[in-house]
Amino acid sequence: MSERSPASLFRLGPQPGEVLDRSQSFHFLWDGGSYPAFAGDTIAAALAASGVRVLSRSFKYHRPRGILTASFHDPGCMVQADGEPNVRAAHRRVKPAMDVAPQNVWPSLRFDVRSANRALGRFLTPGFYYKTFIKPQRLWPAYQKVLKRFAAGGRISAGSAHGYFDKRYAHPDVLVAGGGPAGMAAAVAAAEAGASVMLVEEEHDLGGHLRWGGSGELGVLAALRAAVTGQSGIEVLTDSAVTGRYDDNWVAVVQRGLSDVEERLIKARAGVVVVAPGLIERPYVFAGNDTPGVMLSTAVRRLVNLYAVRPGSRAVVLTANDEGDAAAADLERVGVEVAAVVDARRGGDVVRVRGGRSVERVELGDGTSVDCDLLVTAVGWTAPTALLNMAGDRPVYRPQAARFLPGADLAPNVLAAGGLAGDGSLDQLIEHARAVGQRAATGEGVIPDLEVRDHPALFGGRTHGIVDLSEDISSKDIVAAAREGYDSVELLKRFTTVTMGAAQGKLETVNAVAILAEATGRSIDETGTTMWRPPYVPITLGALAGRMFEPIRHSPMQPWHEAYGAVPLVAGEWIRPDHYGDPVAEVRNVRDNVGIIDVTPLGKLDLRGPDVPQLLNLLYVNKWSKLEIGAVRYGVMCAEDGVVLDDGVTGHLGPDHYLMSTTSSGAATVWEWAENWLQTAHRDWRVHVTPVTAAFASINVAGPNSRQLLSRVTTGVDLSPEAFPYMNVRTGSIAGVDGCVMWRIGFTGELSFEIHVPAGYGLHVWEALIDHGADLGVAPFGVEAQRIMRLEKGHAIVGQDTDGLTRGYSAAIDSLIKLDKDDFAGLPELSWQRQRGEYPMLVGLQPVDGSVVPAEASQIVEGNHIVGRITSSRWSPTLGRSICLGFVAPHLIDAGTVVTVQLPDRSRIEATVTPQLAHFDPAGVRLRG
Amino acid sequence: MAEPVPRSPAARSPITPAAPVVVRDGWEVSDRRSSAALTLADCTPVRKFVVRGNGVLGVPFGRAERHGDTLVAGSGPGEWTVFGGEAAPSPEGEFISVVDVTHGRALIRLTGVLAARLLAKVCPIDFSERVTPHGAAFRSSVAALATDVVRDDRDGSPSYLLHCERSAGQYLYDSLLDAGAELGIEPTGGDGR
Amino acid sequence: MILVPCPHCGPRNVAEFRHVGEAAARPDPASATPEQWRGYLYLRRNPAGPTTETWYHRAGCRAYFAAERHTVTNEFRRTWLPGEVAALAGGATEMGAGVDASGGQGSGGKST
Repeated sequence: MSERSPASLFRLGPQPGEVLDRSQSFHFLWDGGSYPAFAGDTIAAALAASGVRVLSRSFKYHRPRGILTASFHDPGCMVQADGEPNVRAAHRRVKPAMDVAPQNVWPSLRFDVRSANRALGRFLTPGFYYKTFIKPQRLWPAYQKVLKRFAAGGRISAGSAHGYFDKRYAHPDVLVAGGGPAGMAAAVAAAEAGASVMLVEEEHDLGGHLRWGGSGELGVLAALRAAVTGQSGIEVLTDSAVTGRYDDNWVAVVQRGLSDVEERLIKARAGVVVVAPGLIERPYVFAGNDTPGVMLSTAVRRLVNLYAVRPGSRAVVLTANDEGDAAAADLERVGVEVAAVVDARRGGDVVRVRGGRSVERVELGDGTSVDCDLLVTAVGWTAPTALLNMAGDRPVYRPQAARFLPGADLAPNVLAAGGLAGDGSLDQLIEHARAVGQRAATGEGVIPDLEVRDHPALFGGRTHGIVDLSEDISSKDIVAAAREGYDSVELLKRFTTVTMGAAQGKLETVNAVAILAEATGRSIDETGTTMWRPPYVPITLGALAGRMFEPIRHSPMQPWHEAYGAVPLVAGEWIRPDHYGDPVAEVRNVRDNVGIIDVTPLGKLDLRGPDVPQLLNLLYVNKWSKLEIGAVRYGVMCAEDGVVLDDGVTGHLGPDHYLMSTTSSGAATVWEWAENWLQTAHRDWRVHVTPVTAAFASINVAGPNSRQLLSRVTTGVDLSPEAFPYMNVRTGSIAGVDGCVMWRIGFTGELSFEIHVPAGYGLHVWEALIDHGADLGVAPFGVEAQRIMRLEKGHAIVGQDTDGLTRGYSAAIDSLIKLDKDDFAGLPELSWQRQRGEYPMLVGLQPVDGSVVPAEASQIVEGNHIVGRITSSRWSPTLGRSICLGFVAPHLIDAGTVVTVQLPDRSRIEATVTPQLAHFDPAGVRLRG
Repeated sequence: MAEPVPRSPAARSPITPAAPVVVRDGWEVSDRRSSAALTLADCTPVRKFVVRGNGVLGVPFGRAERHGDTLVAGSGPGEWTVFGGEAAPSPEGEFISVVDVTHGRALIRLTGVLAARLLAKVCPIDFSERVTPHGAAFRSSVAALATDVVRDDRDGSPSYLLHCERSAGQYLYDSLLDAGAELGIEPTGGDGR
Repeated sequence: MILVPCPHCGPRNVAEFRHVGEAAARPDPASATPEQWRGYLYLRRNPAGPTTETWYHRAGCRAYFAAERHTVTNEFRRTWLPGEVAALAGGATEMGAGVDASGGQGSGGKST
C-alpha cells in the first residue's frame, strides 16, 4: 500500500455533519512532504484523507502505528507540530503551512532502526529495567547514552519561545463536565432554573457522539446547541477539560486553543458538579490489534461523518452493539466495501490481523480469512469514572453490562448524567439529564432511574495482543507479571507500567483488569481498578505555574540604591542593598566618619493602650513596667518552649503609646504571636497592635559624626548627649518632615541614631542626609557591612546565632531573663534550663590564625564528636583578623579555652573562646558617647 | 542648630507614577488622564486611618459607606479603615485607637465594566453582583498578597479600591496591570478619592 | 482545596488560613511539672475523627478561632470565637493561646 495516494480516493464529498470549511483549503508539511487540508481538519484526518496510515512508532518496540480512536486520547497519533512536542494529531486542527513531524523515529518513520527492538522482545519484557542495565555500575553513563537515544517522545528545543500562560477563578453554581447531549441538557435545565453554569467540553464543539450520528441525531444536536446558545447564564468552554475535582468541589479546568494564551488554568469553586463525560470506546485485544488500519467504530464514524474521510476500501467489522452496526452502515453508505460483518453477539470473533505496516488480512473465529485494509471493532464501552472517584465514589462493576457504574458513595454535590449514569434512548437520557440539571440548580426534583442494558463482556480475544498501546504492554506481559507475583492491580500497574502512558488508562484499564482477573482466577470486581488521580488530561507546566505571584517589597529608597550601584540581597520578600561595591570600605567609613543604612524592613509594631506594659512583660523575658516615656529598652522574646523567638528594641513614645521593633524576618511572626495572646488568653487587655513596618522608612545613621550630621537636618529635638542619652527615643522633624521617630541605639557599636520617617518622605530624608554630610564623610553602607560591624560588637542575630533548639540561657542573655516575673512566654522552660545548668552556650571565638575565616556552620569537634558549631564568621577590618560567634558544649565555655574547628574541606584549625561576645570595644564606649 | 532646610518636600508613593508627573497637595502624582474603559489609578496620597475599638463607627464588618469625600469601611472585627476627609477621625468610646496609615498603605483604584473579570484572575473571591455588590468590603489574597478590597462604584461604573501594605504597592499595581493587559487596561492619574 | 468557615468572613479557601493546631489546655506555668508542660507543648491526640483545633485567618480578618473538624472527611462541624465558650453545650474546651509553641519561627517576611 503506497503512502501517497490521490486525495480523492480517501476524501469524500460533503457530509451532513462535517466540520470542514471547504472554501478554505491549504497545504501543510508532514514528514518532509506537502499535503492538502481544509480548515476544520485535524492533522490526523487530513493525513488520512491523503491515505497516510502510519503516523508514529510505538514507545518500546517501535511498531508502526496509525489512527485507532481518532480522538484526543489516540495513542498512535502523537506528533511534533511547529516545534511543539506530543501534539495530539487527532485533536489538533491543521493550520496553513504547519510543519508536522513524526516522533520517536530514527532515522525515519518508514524505516526505524529501533524496530529491531522487536527482535529483542524477550529481553525487553516489562520490568526489564529492574533486571538489566544494572551491573557493572561504571557503565551507567554509557547505558544512559544508549537508552536516551531509544527514549520516546517529542523534542523540546532550548530556544523555544516563552509562552504566556494564565489563571483565573470562577464560581459557577453548576459545573457540567462534558458537552454531549446529556451535558448540554443538564446545563440548559440548570440555567433555566436560575443557576450560573459552566459547561466544559473536551472537543472543539459541543455535541459529543451526536455529531457523527444520523439525521435524527443531527436534528437533536441542532436543537440542543440552539438551546444552549439561547439560554443566558451558561459559559461554554470548548477545547477544555476538567482535570480534577478536589475537596468542596474545587475543580481545575484547563482551557486550550485560545488565541492569546497558550493554556489557561481555571480554578472553579462549583456549587454542584455534574459529571457527563459519556463513554469511551474500548479496544479489543488480539494479535495484530495495533496494526495501522485497525480502528474503533467511533473512529470510523468520526472520520466519515466529521471529516469526510474514507478510512479504507475494503473493511471487516466486528460488532457487539448498535454503534458498531451504525459504523458498518456508514461505511457502506460512502462506498467502502464491507466484506464481512462479524457479530460478536452471536459468537463471532476476530483472531488475528495480518500485515506489518497496514492491515492486509483478518483471520476470523470461524477459521476463515478475509482480505481487507480496514478492521473496525466495536466491543464495548468504558465508563470514565475518574471525576467520580476523585469525589470519593467507588464505582461498581456490573458484569451484565460489562462496565462500571457510579456507586452509592457519591457526594450530594456531585451528580452523574448521560451514559455514565445508565442507558436508554436519546430522549430518555436527555430527560434524565434535565432532571439532574434541575436538581443541581435547585436541590430539588426527582431524577428518573435509568436502565442498564446488557452488553457482551469482550476484553481479550483468543490471541495475545497489545493492551496498552502507549506503553507497548501486551496481554502476554500481564499474564507473565501475574505469574511472577505482581498479581494485585496496583503492583501490576507499577511493574509493567500498564495504564501509565499517554492515555492514562482510559483505553487500557478495564482490559488490563479483565486479563489480570482471568490470569488470577478472580472476577473483575474482586480485582478492582487502580486509583484515578488528577490530572485527567495532560496539562502544561506553564498553565500550572500561571502568572508568577511572588510579592516583592521595596523600601522607598530603593531607586537611590539602584542608581548608586547597590548589589541586591533577597531577604524574604524584601530586596535590600547588600553593599555598594566594597563592604570593607563601608565598615571603615562608619567607624571613622558616618554611614547611613536603609533598615526599612525592620519589623515595627505600633502598640497603643493602657495594658501595653502587661503585653511587653508577657512577650519579653525582661521587665517593662517601669520604662519611662522617652526611654527605649532591648528585649528578647522566647516561645513557650523557651526557644529564642525574636529580639528588638521597644520605645515608650507617649502615654499609652509604644513602638516595638522586631527582626525583619520575624515581623509577621511576632505580630501574629501578639495577636494570638490578645485574642485568646487575654481578651480583657486593652491593647491595639498595628503593624507599621512599611509605614516608616527606617535609616540608621552611625559613626562618630552621626550626631553632627543629624543635627544639620533635625529640628525640634536636642541631640546633645545630655538631652538625648543612649537608649532613648524622641520625635521631631527631619529635613522638614514632621512626625519622625528617632532612637539612640547601637547595633553597629558606634554612636548611632535610628530614625523612622513616614515612608512617603523616606527618599527625601535619605537624600538630605547625603547632601548635608559630604564634608563629614557620609556614605551609604549595606547589610554586609552592618553584619560585619555587629559581629565585631558580638551582637547575636536571632535565627543565625540561634536556632530552633536555642533556649534563652544558651543565647548568652542571662542578665535579661527575669525569672521572678509572674508569667511570661517561656518562663517554665527557662527556669528548668537554669536549674539543670550544663547547657551549650553562645560564645565569641577567634581563630588562632587570624587570617583564616572559617565557613559559617563549620563544626567544632573533639576527636570525632561534635561539640558545637560556628554560627557567624567574618574577617574584621577593624581588628585586622577573623572573628566568630559560635555554640560550644558546656565544658568549653570558659574564656581562653582552645577549641578545634573542622572546616568544610575536613581540615582543622584552632580557635580561642573570648571573654565576652564583643570582639571590639567591649565596654561600649563608642556607643554611649 | 540647623540650617534652614526646604520645607514641604513632596511625598512619594511606592508606585512609580505614569507620566506626566506633577506635585499636588504635597505628593508626586501622575497627571495622566486616560479615557480607556478599564483604568488603574494610584490613590496612595489619600489620607487613611485605622480606627480600632468596640462598635465605635456604625458601619458593619464587610460593608463600606461613603459620606461625601470620606469612605468608612468595616475592614475587620472591631476595626475600621477611614479614607479621605480633612482631619483624623475622633470617635468617642471606651478604648479607641486611631493610627494614621496614610504612609503605611498603598491604595489603588480599579474602574471599569471589566474590573470584576480582571479581579477574577488574581483573587479567588466571588465578584458577582450577588456576593460583592457596591459597598462590599473584605480582605483576601490578591496576587498572593494580603489585600483589602472595597467596592466603591463611581458614576455608575463598577470601581474597586484595593489597598495593601505599602512596600508591596508597586508589586500589586504591576500584577493588576499584567492581569488587565488582555482587557485593555490603562494607567490613569488618581483624583484624590 | 477545602473551604474553611471563618466565623467572621464566611467560607474561604484554606490557603487564606494558617492551621495553628489541635487545641490543648495550657497548664498553670507556676505549678506545672515538666511532664505536664511538655505534654501541652508537644503531645496531641491526633484522632481520626472530630477534633477541636485553632485556625488563624491570616489573609482575611486575622481572627483566631476554634473549629471542630472531622480529620478524615474535613467536614467542619462548628466554629467559635474566643469568648464564646459559654455558648457551647457539653464540655467545651477553653481555647488555649500557646498551642503554637514555637511561634512559627521562620515563616519569614510574609506581608503584614
